[in-house]
Amino acid sequence: MTSQTKPTPQSSSVLNLPVRRFTVVEYYAMAEAGILTEDDRVELLDGVIVEMAPVGSRHLGCVNCYNRELSAAVGRRAIVQVQSPVRLDDNTEPQPDVALLREKVDGYSSGHPGPGDVLLLIEVADSSLGYDRNEKLPRYARAGIPEVWLTVLPEGVVEAHTEPTEDGYRVTRRFRAGDVLRPGCFEDIEIPVAAILPVRL
Amino acid sequence: MTTQTKPPPPSSSTLNLSMRRFTPAEFLALAEVGILASSDRVELLDGVIIEMAPIGDRHAGTVDIYTEILPSGVDQGTLLRVQGPLALDEHSRLYPDLMLLRRRADYYRSRPPVPEDVLLLIEVSDSSVDYYRNEKLPRYARVGIPEVWLTILPERVIEVHTEPAGGRYTQLRTFRPGDTVSPACFPDIALSVSEILPG
Repeated sequence: MTSQTKPTPQSSSVLNLPVRRFTVVEYYAMAEAGILTEDDRVELLDGVIVEMAPVGSRHLGCVNCYNRELSAAVGRRAIVQVQSPVRLDDNTEPQPDVALLREKVDGYSSGHPGPGDVLLLIEVADSSLGYDRNEKLPRYARAGIPEVWLTVLPEGVVEAHTEPTEDGYRVTRRFRAGDVLRPGCFEDIEIPVAAILPVRL
Repeated sequence: MTTQTKPPPPSSSTLNLSMRRFTPAEFLALAEVGILASSDRVELLDGVIIEMAPIGDRHAGTVDIYTEILPSGVDQGTLLRVQGPLALDEHSRLYPDLMLLRRRADYYRSRPPVPEDVLLLIEVSDSSVDYYRNEKLPRYARVGIPEVWLTILPERVIEVHTEPAGGRYTQLRTFRPGDTVSPACFPDIALSVSEILPG
């Protein structure tokens, strides 16, 4: 037998361990069983149920402006979906701030929109910029989402990411107040950055 | 536009996110409604559902040896629980390999054991010693489990951790084949390490 005085254990995180991941089917079974409730603001990323940051007023206002501008511009040609799920694969179902979806008469009541239904995704990032940029954007690219507008509120910038590859978006263009956003899916649509990033009072 | 893509490989960076954590009640409900199956070897640690390594033959056999030699010398005041639940704290539900528990008439059928019920806790580690050392031991110490034996199969040693204080065990004694080891709760019992770790 040997005895010794022990060193203080290294600080460690439970998050470095192999966590049990869930499928979209299991994720919805949790909601059905009442384990996940309406109070849970969550999304599923690679089988991990992620809690989303609360939506602040500036974030909410920007999402509302996008909704107003896009809805008016697309009319009945497409569906503007706000803060609702898009199913990327069997283990990933994020809730982007805004999704411009292919028109569907039933409004997607027969099944969640998948990557092939998405024309444009918009994320509004305040404190969540690192999460949106490092976690969500690469997954959108891998799923083949053709265009993502990452709206960086603190900088007053909209980054338009296009040409998705397995390794991310090939093209990034930056737009500021005074510029005009033109989604690739509808050539006639023009949204001034100033309309979605109003000057702060 | 590409619509057919492979599911992305699991990304470790996902784990740095703010994960939805589960309460022990939710954890049990996941099993009740069949989302967690009996084939899931999982435990709840700080609200996170962790996948445990599969139990190998050497691990399973060592647990069997313990179950054979432990109760023989232990008095009527205890129960030996094998790979059953422990309600460690309000965020965790763990399944230690063996626990010597204060005996209860209902065999803990009405509630799971809590740390105050545990006299001795034994873990058997084949490949995942870091998990036990870095994650489980500090938590056992924090809730005041008086004695933990960490049985490290590759090294053929039993580490006896005692005197929890300040979130860690302040005493460590290491036993090897040839030594005898005794639980603090039953100092009269001497177990042969060679018998537990025949090599």
